[in-house]
Amino acid sequence: MTSGPKQIERTGMRWMMLASSLLAVVSLATPALSQGAAPMSQNTAAQSAANPSTQPPGENNQGGYADPIAGFNEPMFTFNLKLDDWVLRPVASGYATIAPQPVRESVGRFFDNTRVIPRFANNLFQLKLAEAGGEVARFGINTTIGLAGFFDPADLWFGLKKHRNDFGLTIRYYNIPTGPYLMLPFFGPSTIGDTVGLVADGAMNPISYFVPLWVAFTVAGGQGAAEAVNYRSLHLNQFEEADRYAIDLYGAVQDAYLQTRVHDVKKLHEERW
Amino acid sequence: MMTPTSIQRILPRRAIAILTLTAALVVSLAPSRLLAPAWADDPMSVVRTTVNQALGVLRDNQTPLAQRQDKLRQIVSATFDFTAMAKSALGYHWKQITPGQQQEFTSAFVAFIEDSYLSKVNDYRGQQVAFLRMTSDGPQYAQVNTDIVQGDKEPIHLNYSLVQEDATWKIYDVTVDAISIIANYRNQFNRVMNNQGYATLISDLKNKQAALAASLANH
Repeated sequence: MTSGPKQIERTGMRWMMLASSLLAVVSLATPALSQGAAPMSQNTAAQSAANPSTQPPGENNQGGYADPIAGFNEPMFTFNLKLDDWVLRPVASGYATIAPQPVRESVGRFFDNTRVIPRFANNLFQLKLAEAGGEVARFGINTTIGLAGFFDPADLWFGLKKHRNDFGLTIRYYNIPTGPYLMLPFFGPSTIGDTVGLVADGAMNPISYFVPLWVAFTVAGGQGAAEAVNYRSLHLNQFEEADRYAIDLYGAVQDAYLQTRVHDVKKLHEERW
Repeated sequence: MMTPTSIQRILPRRAIAILTLTAALVVSLAPSRLLAPAWADDPMSVVRTTVNQALGVLRDNQTPLAQRQDKLRQIVSATFDFTAMAKSALGYHWKQITPGQQQEFTSAFVAFIEDSYLSKVNDYRGQQVAFLRMTSDGPQYAQVNTDIVQGDKEPIHLNYSLVQEDATWKIYDVTVDAISIIANYRNQFNRVMNNQGYATLISDLKNKQAALAASLANH
């Protein structure tokens, strides 16, 4: 599995991520770009001013989202679809035929368990001490009794639920604009701020402290690829289903991603009080 | 705290019966009385009735599929405000097209949404629906939260947004796991309108609906 060209490819994909985060830092510093953080409101203002009482709640965004770098995003979206078509889906469906679903679900839990540090840290950044502590307890229980994280006795037996969190959500939690929508190659939908978060969360991977950088990148890239295959094998019909009901697939994915992020951070605020 | 058994020992039986009856009455009337003016037609019961009727059709394996689809179409069109949905999904572009185009778009969108809904019939695997709560969004608007329970997997959170029109509550949006369906289509339609224009939007919409209808007829 770890042949030369593939390593280069994986390393390359991590570098691409770093490059885009640099771009992110630059553009976050540019006020003009970071204004489009939330749903775009150019036409919203005019619309709701003309018609304030008849707008149903939550329906005030009458236009679309700002997408200043659509010229980059649209080709990347096509690239990701092709990548899925030619590589990810064939590999994932092959893998699905040899590994039964419970096994693949276990593998998913294993990967998830290794991601404890960013979840712990971001709960801490948001002063969610009980949730941060819960993540530590979950990691302890699932790594031992749960056999390296392949099972989730912390939830099943101790009722300790997972508290998803990431640095992109921390950025949103403190109302820092997350910049324009960004379609990352390999990683999928994101925003500039979420990409910074992706890099920050990735830097929390403890392996990067102990081994040379290129090894860390390769391992992370390899894990990312394996995780992607495993996830895709559990959601084989996902894109086909989405495409059946979409008029514009790019717009459907963009909106689903941005609505979900807004909802996730709203939930983080609600849980707090 | 007193357990139910200790209460039974203390109170005579008839008193318990009266108490239980009163409690049941208060519980069944109070929430709807407080939250909606007409308790027989509050948003929660509108959603509950619609969903239960639809589930009845979905569970019925005996009737031919075409008849079940017709039944579902009737149930859905009685409680969904399709015209408002079409208008909302087009956002500010609604005012930029002609009344003729508005009509054409509405009927195409209604057919598309209906067929999307009907094509889900074959995915039904006996899931149960839990009706969780109703929240009021002002006098005219309400939300009803439901969960589609699917064994040990995470339930699908399905929320209905309702608007009161002439004393009846109608559904104008459905939110699936935090994603508003109408807002999602609005973003798609906005992109097509801005990049290609109305002609492309209406032909794409009709093509997708035709594909859905064809797959419905094949089942």
